[in-house]
Amino acid sequence: MSEFTAPEVAKENIYWATIKNSRGLLITILLLAILPFIIALVDGQPFSELLSNDPGQSKFYQALMIEIFILAVYAISYDLIFGITGMISFGHAMFFGVGAYVTGIMFKSFGWSLLPTIGLVILAGIVNALIFGIVLPRVKGITWALVTLGIAEVFFIVIQSRELVDFAGAEIGLQGVTPPEYLNPVTERLRFYYLAMIFMILVYIFYKRFVNSPTGRVCIANRENENRAIMLGYNTFWYKLTALIISSVTAGLAGALHAIFHPIIRPDIAGLSFTIAALLMVLIGGVGTLSGALIGAATFRLLSFGLDRYLGGSSQIIIGIVYVGIVLYLPFGIVGTWNQRSVRRKEGREQLLRMFTGSKEKKQDENEE
Amino acid sequence: MENNIILESIKLRKEFGALVAVANVSIKVKANTIHSIIGPNGAGKTTYFNLLSGNLEPTSGRVIFKGRDITNLPLYRTAHLGIGRSFQITNIFPNLTVLENVRLASQALGKDNFKFIRDYRHFEQYEHRAYEVINQVGLTERALSQAISLPHGDKRKLELGMILAPDPELLLLDEPTAGMAAEEVPEIMELIQKVQKSGKKTVMLVEHNMNVVMSISDYISVMHQGQILAEGTPSEIASNEVVQSAYLGGLYSDLQVS
Ligand SMILES: Nc1ncnc2c1ncn2[C@@H]1O[C@H](COP(=O)(O)OP(=O)(O)O)[C@@H](O)[C@H]1O
Ligand SMILES: [Mg+2]
Repeated sequence: MSEFTAPEVAKENIYWATIKNSRGLLITILLLAILPFIIALVDGQPFSELLSNDPGQSKFYQALMIEIFILAVYAISYDLIFGITGMISFGHAMFFGVGAYVTGIMFKSFGWSLLPTIGLVILAGIVNALIFGIVLPRVKGITWALVTLGIAEVFFIVIQSRELVDFAGAEIGLQGVTPPEYLNPVTERLRFYYLAMIFMILVYIFYKRFVNSPTGRVCIANRENENRAIMLGYNTFWYKLTALIISSVTAGLAGALHAIFHPIIRPDIAGLSFTIAALLMVLIGGVGTLSGALIGAATFRLLSFGLDRYLGGSSQIIIGIVYVGIVLYLPFGIVGTWNQRSVRRKEGREQLLRMFTGSKEKKQDENEE
Repeated sequence: MENNIILESIKLRKEFGALVAVANVSIKVKANTIHSIIGPNGAGKTTYFNLLSGNLEPTSGRVIFKGRDITNLPLYRTAHLGIGRSFQITNIFPNLTVLENVRLASQALGKDNFKFIRDYRHFEQYEHRAYEVINQVGLTERALSQAISLPHGDKRKLELGMILAPDPELLLLDEPTAGMAAEEVPEIMELIQKVQKSGKKTVMLVEHNMNVVMSISDYISVMHQGQILAEGTPSEIASNEVVQSAYLGGLYSDLQVS
C-alpha cells in the first residue's frame, strides 16, 4: 500500500502554477494602475493637472472606477458565502451598511479618526457574522436566507428611524460626514483611486488564497454537499461561520470606503435591493469564481452608467432584460463560461437552480435503483 | 460486555408517525467481521443504519460503539470515532474531481483544517493518501474527472474511496453496489473483503444480492418489518426454517448455498 506513488500529475509545481494563473491578475493591476493616465492622455490633460486632481475626464472616470472597486469588494464578499460556501443570504447589504454607517457616525458624531473607526468596523463585521451565524445550526437553506433578510430589515428600519435621526439621518441618509483631509474624495481623488484599487486587489488575493486553503476547500465541500462533509467529520458550522466572518468584515470595510467616498450615505445600501445587486453581480460574473465577482461588479456598474446616460429613465427595464438574458444564456456567468470554454447552458441552469433550492439530492435521485 | 463487540444497538427504535420503521432492534457486531443486514425493501435497514450513524435520532434505545454510548453524539463526531458511512443514494461532492473528493475525505480527520492561507496542495500527505485510495478502488484513470461526470458504478467506487480514505474501523455500507452493472459487483465485493481483512476492520453491510451476501458475510441478521427475524452465520440463515418460509424461500428461491 505505502509503496504506491502518486502519478506525476499530482506533482505539478504549485508555485509555477500560481504564477501562471496570476498573469491575468498582474496585467489587470498594471492596466488599472495606468488607467487614470491613459484617460488623461486621451483627454489631452497634462499629467501635472492630473496629479493635482484638477477636474477633467480622468477625474470623472476615477470616481466611476472607485465605485466599481468598492462594489467589487462587496460582490466578492457575497461570492464567498454564496458561490464558495453555498449559503444564500438575503441580508448581505447589512454587512455593507453597518460598515458605512459605523464609519459615518463615528466620523460625524464622535469625531473619531480613521484607524480606530476601521477597527470598530472590523469588530462590527465580526459581530454581524456572529448574529447571522448563531442560527446556522438550527436553520438551513432558504429558511436561513429568510432569517438573514429579517435581521437585515430590522437594521434597515433602525437606521431610518426618527429616534436616530441625529446620528443616521433617517430616510434621507447620513450627510455631512467629513473625511480625513488626506483621503478627501474630491481634492485627493487620485490617491483615493489607488487606495481603493489596492484594497480591492488585496481582498481578491486574500480570498483566492483562502479558497485554496484547507479551510476554503471545506467551504467548497459544504457547498457541494453539506451532509457528506459532515459525515466525513467536518463540523460545517465553523467553516460557514469562518466564511461569514471574512465576508462580513470585507463587506464592512467596503462600506467604510463607500462612506468616506460619498457625500451622503443613503439607507438603500442596507436594503434588500442592494443585496440583490450583490447577487446579480456574482451571477453576471460567474458564481463561485471570485474573479467573476469583480468582473460582474464592473459590468453591473458600467451597464447602468452607460444605459442611464443614453437612455435615461427607461434604462432600468433594459438592465433587467440584460440580466435575465445573462442568467439564461450565460448561466455560469462571464468568467465561468470563459473557464469552461464551452457553454453547457442546461447544466448551468440546473446547477444554479440547485444552489437556490439547496437540493443536493436532486441529481442523485436518478441513481436510485 | 464482551471485549470483541465493536458495535451494539440496544432496543433501538424509530417511529415515523404511526409507522414503526425499526422496532427495538438489538444487535451485537463482533469486531473484524462482515456483518450483513438483509431483508426486503422497506424492512427498515436504511433507517437502522441511519440510527447507528447518527443521521436519525432514535425514538428510543441506544447505540454503543467500543463501549461508549454514541446515541446522542453530534453527527460529525462519528467519523472521528472511526465510523465511515456510505449511503444507498450516492453521496459525493458532484462538481469536484475524484481526487478532490477523496482528498477532502482524507483531510477531514487531520489537523490542518483551520489553516486558511497556505495552499491546500502543500499538505501533500492528504493528496498522497487520496491517490493511494483512488488506486485501491480502481479510479486512477478518472482521478481528474469531475465526480458528476462518472458513470454510476464509478460513483459508487468513489464513495467507497471517500469512506476508506480516513481509514475507519467500522464501515456502514448501505447497498454499496446498488445500481452497479452485474460484472462490477464482484470487484467491489472483493475490495471490501480485502480491506476488511487486511486492515482489521469491521463491515456492516446491507446488500440485496444473496449470493454475494452468503459468500462474503461472517454473520447475517435478517430484518423484516423493523424487526430481527433471525441471526446467525450464512449457513445457519440458509437453513433457518422461519427465514426460508418468510423470506428466502419466496424471494430467493434460486439461491444455492454450498
Ligand atoms: N424519513 C422517513 N419518513 C417516513 N417514513 C420513512 C422515512 N424513512 C423511511 N421511512 C419508512 O420506513 C420504512 C423502512 O424504510 P427503509 O429503512 O428505507 O427500508 P430499507 O432500507 O430496508 O428498504 C419504510 O416503510 C419507509 O417508507
Ligand atoms: Mg434501504
